[in-house]
Amino acid sequence: MEKNIIIKVCMGTGGVASGGEEVLAKFREMITESNLNAKISSNCHAQKVGCRGFCSKDVLVDVIVDDVKTTYKHIKPDMVERIFNEHVINGVPVNEWLAGPEYNNFHDKQTKVVLSHCGDIDPEDIDSYIAVGGYNAAKKAVLEMAPEEIVNIIKNSNLRGRGGAGFPTGLKWELGLRIKSDVKYVICNGDEGDPGAFMDRSVMEGDPHSVIEGMIICAKATQSNSGYIYVRAEYPLAVKRLQMAIEQCLMKNFLGNNIFGSDFSFDLKIFQGAGAFVCGEATALMRSIEGKRGMPSPKLWRSAERGLWDKPTVLNNVETFANVPKIILNGANWYRKLGTERSGGTKVFSLSGKVRNTGLVEVPLGISLREIIYDIGGGIEGGKNFKAVQTGGPSGGCIPAELLDTEVDYESLARAGSIMGSGGMVVLDENTCMVNTAKFFLEFTQAESCGKCTPCRIGTKRMLEILERITSGKGKDGDIELLEELGNHIRATSLCGLGMTAANPVLSTLKYFRDEYIAHIKEKRCPAAVCRDLITFTIIEELCKGCGSCKRVCPADAIRGTRKSPHRIDKELCIKCGSCFDACKFKAILKV
Amino acid sequence: MEEVVKINIDGKEVEVPAGINLIDAAEIAGIHIPNLCYMKGMKGVGACRLCLVEVEGLKAPVIACNTKVRDNMIVKTKTERVQEVRKFVIDLLLSMHPLDCMTCTKSGICNLQKYAYEFELKESSFTRKKFGYPVDAANPFIKRDPDYCILCGRCVRVCKEQGTNVLDFMGRGIESKVVTANDRPLQESECTFCGSCVDACPVNALLEADRWRKGREWEYEKYNSVCMLCGCACEIKVSVREGDIQKINSGAKDGSVEKYLCAYGRFGFDSLRAESRLSTPLKRVNGELKETTWEDAINIVSTKLKEAGKNTCIISSASITNEDAITLKRFATEVLKTQNIGSTISLYSDPKVFKNSGKADINSSDLIIVIGLNLSQWDRVLPAIDAAVRKRVNRGAKLIVINEAETGLSTVASINLRGNEIESIKAIITALKQSGAEIDKQTEEYLSDVREITEEITKSAGMILNAKSPLILVSPELFNAASNLALIKGDIIAVYPESNARGVALMGIETESKSYAEMTDSKYSLLYIAGNVPLQNRPDTDFLIVQNSYMNDIAKNADIVLPVAEYLETSGTIIDYAGRIKHLNRAIDSHGKSKSHREIFREIAKKMGTTLKMPVESEIKKAADVKAKISAMPFEKTKNLHFEPDKFIETLNLTVINNSRLIWLKEAFEVKAEK
Ligand SMILES: Cc1cc2nc3c(=O)[nH]c(=O)nc-3n(C[C@H](O)[C@H](O)[C@H](O)COP(=O)(O)O)c2cc1C
Ligand code: SF4
Ligand code: SF4
Ligand code: SF4
Ligand code: SF4
Ligand code: SF4
Ligand code: SF4
Ligand code: FES
Ligand code: FES
Repeated sequence: MEKNIIIKVCMGTGGVASGGEEVLAKFREMITESNLNAKISSNCHAQKVGCRGFCSKDVLVDVIVDDVKTTYKHIKPDMVERIFNEHVINGVPVNEWLAGPEYNNFHDKQTKVVLSHCGDIDPEDIDSYIAVGGYNAAKKAVLEMAPEEIVNIIKNSNLRGRGGAGFPTGLKWELGLRIKSDVKYVICNGDEGDPGAFMDRSVMEGDPHSVIEGMIICAKATQSNSGYIYVRAEYPLAVKRLQMAIEQCLMKNFLGNNIFGSDFSFDLKIFQGAGAFVCGEATALMRSIEGKRGMPSPKLWRSAERGLWDKPTVLNNVETFANVPKIILNGANWYRKLGTERSGGTKVFSLSGKVRNTGLVEVPLGISLREIIYDIGGGIEGGKNFKAVQTGGPSGGCIPAELLDTEVDYESLARAGSIMGSGGMVVLDENTCMVNTAKFFLEFTQAESCGKCTPCRIGTKRMLEILERITSGKGKDGDIELLEELGNHIRATSLCGLGMTAANPVLSTLKYFRDEYIAHIKEKRCPAAVCRDLITFTIIEELCKGCGSCKRVCPADAIRGTRKSPHRIDKELCIKCGSCFDACKFKAILKV
Repeated sequence: MEEVVKINIDGKEVEVPAGINLIDAAEIAGIHIPNLCYMKGMKGVGACRLCLVEVEGLKAPVIACNTKVRDNMIVKTKTERVQEVRKFVIDLLLSMHPLDCMTCTKSGICNLQKYAYEFELKESSFTRKKFGYPVDAANPFIKRDPDYCILCGRCVRVCKEQGTNVLDFMGRGIESKVVTANDRPLQESECTFCGSCVDACPVNALLEADRWRKGREWEYEKYNSVCMLCGCACEIKVSVREGDIQKINSGAKDGSVEKYLCAYGRFGFDSLRAESRLSTPLKRVNGELKETTWEDAINIVSTKLKEAGKNTCIISSASITNEDAITLKRFATEVLKTQNIGSTISLYSDPKVFKNSGKADINSSDLIIVIGLNLSQWDRVLPAIDAAVRKRVNRGAKLIVINEAETGLSTVASINLRGNEIESIKAIITALKQSGAEIDKQTEEYLSDVREITEEITKSAGMILNAKSPLILVSPELFNAASNLALIKGDIIAVYPESNARGVALMGIETESKSYAEMTDSKYSLLYIAGNVPLQNRPDTDFLIVQNSYMNDIAKNADIVLPVAEYLETSGTIIDYAGRIKHLNRAIDSHGKSKSHREIFREIAKKMGTTLKMPVESEIKKAADVKAKISAMPFEKTKNLHFEPDKFIETLNLTVINNSRLIWLKEAFEVKAEK
């Protein structure tokens, strides 16, 4: 019998950056050179696949021999030859390069709906998508289903918007369908501006057709004939793959006039965004497509009534659309049951920070934070203690250890003082200063505020100034109250979501970690020893062996001492760079 | 009937028109909702967040500028909660503001100052910072000092809405700033120096360039008047201190699309104090013009007029008031008994047009049809009408431009019909007829050889049928042809270059004998020129009287020169292009010994033995109140009316331009053109 060998090389942004292209080329070269297919009567080919969410281990390579999959991590072009000779030809995996149990755990505990094909199919080949059932849902929706029927399925599935606010998608579509107009638009929001988030990028790069298919179904459901995918220009690979996907769809008549041979037409274009965070906000995004400055506007009309160019518009997030084909194929019940009572399905998170396994994880809604961080994420890196998890990106809040069993869904996270947002999840350990963390996020929102409305434009700046003075030891009595007042007012008065949520990181840390603020202000001390102006480095005489390592690395020439006798740090000269602390092998340097 | 809704604001029950926003509704109830970014007539943008109010049934406060009234709405504008956030917003604004009220020119009308006062904020409770941006003061019209800017965006929006589109936001967060393209000085942008942005700015960030220490708002006497420099006849508000004009602002109602002034109207007043201003009568002695007394001048003039009698020819400008025009008419018929009295109107219109031109408010038209006009703010061809049309379009009105060639307005029109205007009008009427509109029998007879009915023509006809109140703005030469269209639907208004052409015509200044062209082309014993006329060379005449405000080319060639008060120095009325009577109020004393036209005519008449009756308002009203009777007219252009409006308006205003800071603009433009 003929052997079936497939080699899948990760060519997501992470894979490409780590040299995936060369790895793939090398495999292809080896296949041709060895004349393998003829020699051992096999059917062997190597293909590119999209991101599978574990980019820190790139280049990831799957070798699948007769459906038995083995995954390698950190593969470089010069490692290819050995894998090829030992595994592909002789059937013996190269054990020391295997991705191992960590990789499997990471994946096995997830529930992949949106990401089910990411990392598995060739994103640049429509047939690869069709081979796994792609476009069956769109075909069914266009040819067999009435718009109302589609809307009902989506409504019953409990799918909620994955772009942040969690608005029920079915309701949005229902409104979109109800409003009559000769021109209507469907827009996919692929702006993904949250720092550190890359779930939408991975979907657009790894499974672009699923997004397009979701949009076709939405277009049919809302009776709209044109659409835009708004992608940030910083995602060139996503743009390229979506562009290829659209072209392939046009050839197959999945897009364009009379798609799938029906009397329904749908025209889809890509719009490359300018990259500002606020352009991800729905009204700002539409202004941006119209060629205006991306600034949010107050909603006198819902976008479903007057959106792009004042025409009825349904706008959804990338992940929201990518869920749709699966719901159509597997039914509303299946999807709803995956999640909680109020939110159906799964959600993709970008897990980062101080966890052992960082990457993209897709989990059913309702799972606890603890399961994500410990079971999938593998717990805290370096055996440190967990301190908090920041969810929802810069608009979110910090959730402390005592709330680790919080269920992950829109309402529970909001109750805990944070938000689901687009799915950012940063794990913070005991070495994190919460004041500094809040400052970090506020710096981001402050700089990304579009500047239109007073509270967000000036208020966030004033908050940031207060945080800056607290972290530099100049905090004053009353600063905490001032921060709270500012935060609450900004939340209550800002025009758009950016301003309304900008204070969340500050308010939530004030709620759970108030004592850290007090320590900074009253005792001029940073408990996590992070804020530079508040820490001191001292050498503990008893522990110092006089090795001189610290002296050698000190850029400020602040360390005095002769060999074999205890050294001393001149506090006047020390610039608090921390080099000595890292250099000392005897843990003789104290950072407080 | 306009639909009304009943609402309750702070306990007051009021009936207000449906569809308006809460700021306007509260105003009707006599309640002011604090606001900084709202502009009457435009959509609320929600930038300042000051106008938050509470609506019963809603959890969170809403912005009044962007919330429409609903029947039985209960609104509270002064709850503790909203007052607190308002104070917070002002506090934040002050934290990024110079707080220079003691020396700030805007003190007294500054809304930020007003609200700081109301909320008892002496100082921001946050650490106050400054932007430290450079000032743009490189032009003599407008100074931009971004340090004071509160980013309300009002300037950006007015400039965009009127189509000049010079200003926009740049940067993010606290670094956001209002800039021109590439943050260049104003004169390097497409700015027309209309100053609309200055009128819109609530603080000291945009100001007339020369205002420093020229008085603050409460020190001025204010006069509502009218700009007479072009056919737009814009309403102005003149600020006077110590007998001199300090500034001129638009006097039109807030929210009206006619709230606009061009650089001429706003900044041209420098010329009132120019050296070339005539301050005493002059007479020619030994070939040279020498100063003389009024008594002497009137003696000479009356003697000469007596000699010439009914052979006197009079040419009047159409930028004089109705009162002046009536007096002139009386003077000519009762005293001189001459029929040779013409005006500059005949250069661009058949005076009969004004009897038929309609009355309309552009603010309520939902379809504007512009025929044969090259309106332009940039070339200053009836700039205020250009701006008004663009604003209406931005507020939702449709625009059809019917013009031989592409014009500035073409870019914003829903439909452009190029090529021969008459053919387009004929085609539209035919299309209307095909859609079942009733066509005048006579019109139908005139319709012949209609060109092909294109899709655009059909669309235009559809728009006309669907419109509630279409408005046709037409050049005088096409007025008759376009009348046929107005006969089916809409108001028709002729638009022309001089401010009171319609008034002057209706007051009866219309030659019954010799035309303007004949008067200036052939030899007459005496020619009397009243006002500013576009003549440079002395016509062939034995004796030339020039009655003008400035020493211009024609005055230099006169035998006697009589100094006239400028429009800012006169009271009276005019009738604007839309048929409205507008009032001029004398803002400052006449320059030197100059007098108004009517005073001069009356004095000469008296010298000649007749006391002329003073014009009274009722006769002006009566004259203005002609019932427009449009009727079917042949589809023809009125002949011999070829003039270039831009050149014409510039020539009329040459003295104003050359004797004010406007000369800078002209020179800067020439430099730009060379590059
Ligand atoms: C400041 C700001 C940034 C946003 N950025 C994004 C984004 O990058 N991607 C996104 O899908 N939604 C973003 N949103 C949410 C959108 O406004 C909108 O609610 C969402 O795209 C709707 O799609 P959904 O219903 O599928 O979630 C942002 C909102 C705000 C206020
Ligand atoms: S809240 Fe911030 S981002 Fe949103 S409109 Fe206001 S200034 Fe712009
Ligand atoms: S912290 Fe840096 S500067 Fe200070 S003593 Fe250590 S090495 Fe030197
Ligand atoms: S702009 Fe207003 S608040 Fe600012 S200094 Fe001038 S008067 Fe005072
Ligand atoms: S002066 Fe007129 S054109 Fe120039 S920026 Fe201001 S509003 Fe715009
Ligand atoms: S310059 Fe004046 S009008 Fe323009 S945004 Fe600033 S404060 Fe508002
Ligand atoms: S548009 Fe005409 S009337 Fe208006 S200000 Fe300018 S010159 Fe005067
Ligand atoms: S790009 Fe390779 S796993 Fe993400
Ligand atoms: S006036 Fe309503 S937000 Fe500024």
